[in-house]
Amino acid sequence: MKKGTQNYINIHTESSPQKPFEMFKQIVKRTFKGEMFVGLWIVFREMIRFNIHTIQYPKEKLPLSPRYRAVHKLLRLIESGNERCIGCGLCEKICIANCIRMDTKIDENSRKVVTEYTINLGRCIYCGYCAEVCPELAIVHGDRYENVSEQRAHFVLKDDMLTPLDLLKQKEQKEYPGFGAISDEADKFIKKTPLAY
Amino acid sequence: MTTFYINGQKVTANKNDTILSVARREGFYIPTLCYLTKVKPISSCRLCVVEVEGQNGFILSCQTPPVEGINVITDSQKLFTHRQNIMKMYDVNHPLECGVCDKSGNCDLQNKTLDFEVSSQEFSAKEQKRVIENWGFIKYDESLCILCERCVHVCNEVVGDNALKIGVGGYKSRIVRVEDSSCSECGECMAVCPVGALTTKDFQYKTNAWELQKIPATCAHCSSGCQIFYEVKHVGSCEKSDKKVYRVTNDVDINSLCGAGRFAYDFNNSSVKDKDKFEKAIEAFHVADTIVFNSYITNEEALILQRLKEKFGYKLINSSALKYQKFLQEFSKSAGSMLYNGTIEDIKSADFAIVLGSKISSDNPIVKYALNTAQKNRRAEICYLHPIQDEDIKQIVTQHIKYEVGSEEGVVALLLQLFLNQENLEDSLKSYIDELDIGYLSAESNIGEEELSKLKAKSIRKQNFVLVIGEDLITHKRAENIAKLIGLFQKYTQFKVIIIPTQTNTLGVSLICDLDEKKGNYSIGYNVKGNFTLSCFDGDLSMPSLNQQEGTFTTIDKRVVPTNVAISYNGYCLNDIANAIGLNKKYTIDYTIELPHEKGFIKKSFDELSNFYNLNGDDNRGYALENKVVNSIVAVESVEDIGEFNGTVVYRCESVNQFNYNTFVSKNLANDSFLIGSNQFAIAAKIGDGDEVEFSIGENLIKKVFKIDKKLKGTIAMNPSFDRLLSDDWVSSSYRYQKVTIKRVEG
Repeated sequence: MKKGTQNYINIHTESSPQKPFEMFKQIVKRTFKGEMFVGLWIVFREMIRFNIHTIQYPKEKLPLSPRYRAVHKLLRLIESGNERCIGCGLCEKICIANCIRMDTKIDENSRKVVTEYTINLGRCIYCGYCAEVCPELAIVHGDRYENVSEQRAHFVLKDDMLTPLDLLKQKEQKEYPGFGAISDEADKFIKKTPLAY
Repeated sequence: MTTFYINGQKVTANKNDTILSVARREGFYIPTLCYLTKVKPISSCRLCVVEVEGQNGFILSCQTPPVEGINVITDSQKLFTHRQNIMKMYDVNHPLECGVCDKSGNCDLQNKTLDFEVSSQEFSAKEQKRVIENWGFIKYDESLCILCERCVHVCNEVVGDNALKIGVGGYKSRIVRVEDSSCSECGECMAVCPVGALTTKDFQYKTNAWELQKIPATCAHCSSGCQIFYEVKHVGSCEKSDKKVYRVTNDVDINSLCGAGRFAYDFNNSSVKDKDKFEKAIEAFHVADTIVFNSYITNEEALILQRLKEKFGYKLINSSALKYQKFLQEFSKSAGSMLYNGTIEDIKSADFAIVLGSKISSDNPIVKYALNTAQKNRRAEICYLHPIQDEDIKQIVTQHIKYEVGSEEGVVALLLQLFLNQENLEDSLKSYIDELDIGYLSAESNIGEEELSKLKAKSIRKQNFVLVIGEDLITHKRAENIAKLIGLFQKYTQFKVIIIPTQTNTLGVSLICDLDEKKGNYSIGYNVKGNFTLSCFDGDLSMPSLNQQEGTFTTIDKRVVPTNVAISYNGYCLNDIANAIGLNKKYTIDYTIELPHEKGFIKKSFDELSNFYNLNGDDNRGYALENKVVNSIVAVESVEDIGEFNGTVVYRCESVNQFNYNTFVSKNLANDSFLIGSNQFAIAAKIGDGDEVEFSIGENLIKKVFKIDKKLKGTIAMNPSFDRLLSDDWVSSSYRYQKVTIKRVEG
């Protein structure tokens, strides 16, 4: 199959009957042809075969595209382990479902820190704007699409989204290639600023 | 009148107009960065350049008056490139920290950089070492500063503290705080800063500008009633959480705020409805025969109290407002108009101003600002008559005349004799003036005759005269006669008179309520101590604080201005009580339209009142009271003998940026309530710095820590009263000077 083409199959359909007698004939034909048994046979045949295509969810899962947009993650800087989020509030602003909220303060090193960060997943439409607007590549979409818990609030707190430090040490945090990630040719578009020193 | 053209359209300019001010009035956009309507053109940003057809080069529209017939072009390719280059220059080495900068979102530099499509940089300069400085409550980040000089100009021309200056040094230039200047921490410099160089510690990194909801309101701390915006947002990240005021901003182009207005926003009452307490309150209202209150209430609430009085015969006690009311009544009898005729705008455009009987820097900072503007921009003579020399305003005052405590009546008579035009007076008045014993008055009040003649000499060839009257005169025991004499000033001289209302809505209360002299047996206190107390602080029933109410205030400018709810209140308010005992209005603001017509209020409902300034600074806030004409009767009494006021005297006077308990509870202001005296006072009273002292005024014992202020001179100590929770009614209405015996408390 060539890249960028689709192979459509034309299905030849019979022309539908026009006259009352033709309609009657079609009904009689369909009633007594036993097509139902054809269908039942196929189901039975597939049932007793062993190489079936059904994914045995939740035992097995389909592989996801890296651009898949599921529950958000907050990433850390790989070298220092600091949070990438600087609390600029752009995700909060751009969110069209208005489901992101954050609270910031000044810390003892005079830096802006995010104290609270929540995403109301009941309202999130997974559009990816937050990841796209983030200037620090801090908020990204993960691959966790299963939201099952006793309470909705369980998935939306900062601590649940932030990469745990031990996983970071095990180099489990991967750079996100989806919305908002730097393109391969990003270097080409940089205009250099003159420096006086 | 000059006629000229802007982009081909015919426009006319008045006297003192510049090209920019005409363009703004006519709706043409000229970009500016350093320009502020309220100060003289700064002309440091050079962004407001325009072209004149047929001439080479650009001119600065902010400071150039138009010439007859020229055609000004506000936008062309050449101008765009020029302005773009200016913005590129500003962006050299400007830190790219918009992500965390508090100003991001309403930053002039950010906006103009985007406006002029600066997407790359061609200029560069060697970066200097830049530091972050702490100026008390305000933080100065040098690397973000673009040296537009706005802060320096407002500090000099508006506030009058001269606390900032430019440290000149080419690219190394920076804003420098003047050592031991009298910075009153008003935050005006921070408010006008177009970038994020000046921020407050309280606000920094708390939220982004675009998240805040602006609520137009009126500052409730003093009678200036400045236009403000409460900027509110939810707390934390929980969706259903309560809102909080994050900061107070104002229309910096036109008006200014004091420190209290800008920073004392952090109090509100979060009580909820408590049925039992409410029932008790209703019971108390059935038992009571008196309502005691202060003037930190809205006009509507004052009217509710008045209606309750009319219906149930409560006595209304508010002695501070009563004194003001009596003063105003006597004043209007001799002045011939119900209200005084001056406004803050008159002070700003005055060239000769007298301030009498008020420590203006703390009594009413906005009057101080206006005096300073007059002095800086119009070279006005500011004459300050007060027994205490005030170091805070030494930059503003051109002549300080000190008089003896208690001799205020004599001082007014002396001034009257000095400025009254003798020619067209009635005979009785003429003889009154002639019979004044100038020698005696001048000796007793300790004002030398040469001081007076110097004052008179300064007034020659001046045109706009203003007389500002303070609380010292209103609380004086001869207040009624003083008021009559002041009335003559308004009637017979060129002076415009302003009588500063002592509390936020004193003027409103004194117009709306029939106040009584004597308390009954059982009193309801509203934010004042009573047998049953309603209060937003700590009373028997909780009440909303002023930033949780909607209503109107009557300001010093004799305007009725609206204020809105910044934070919702879930408890009971005065209107609920009034409805429960017999009045019937759904909302408090339903009373706005019923404010007494005969006193000058206009029949307008609350929703009809606007609350904004337009770009040229025209006041569109609420409405101005009608100043009705009354029959004038000249019946001044002769000046009473002036008594001696020796010994240790304390003066009731709040510290700068403090007005009342509402400002006291703010965490953002310095709220030390010390008894402050000079070295001389300490010696006379035999106390030392840091001593705990006690003294009594009337029957009330006051305990305070004494502090020596080295700048202060004389034998009068300052005794602040803003720290008194639910202060008694007498505190705000007694004569401001009190003779006391000060005892040191051992231990």
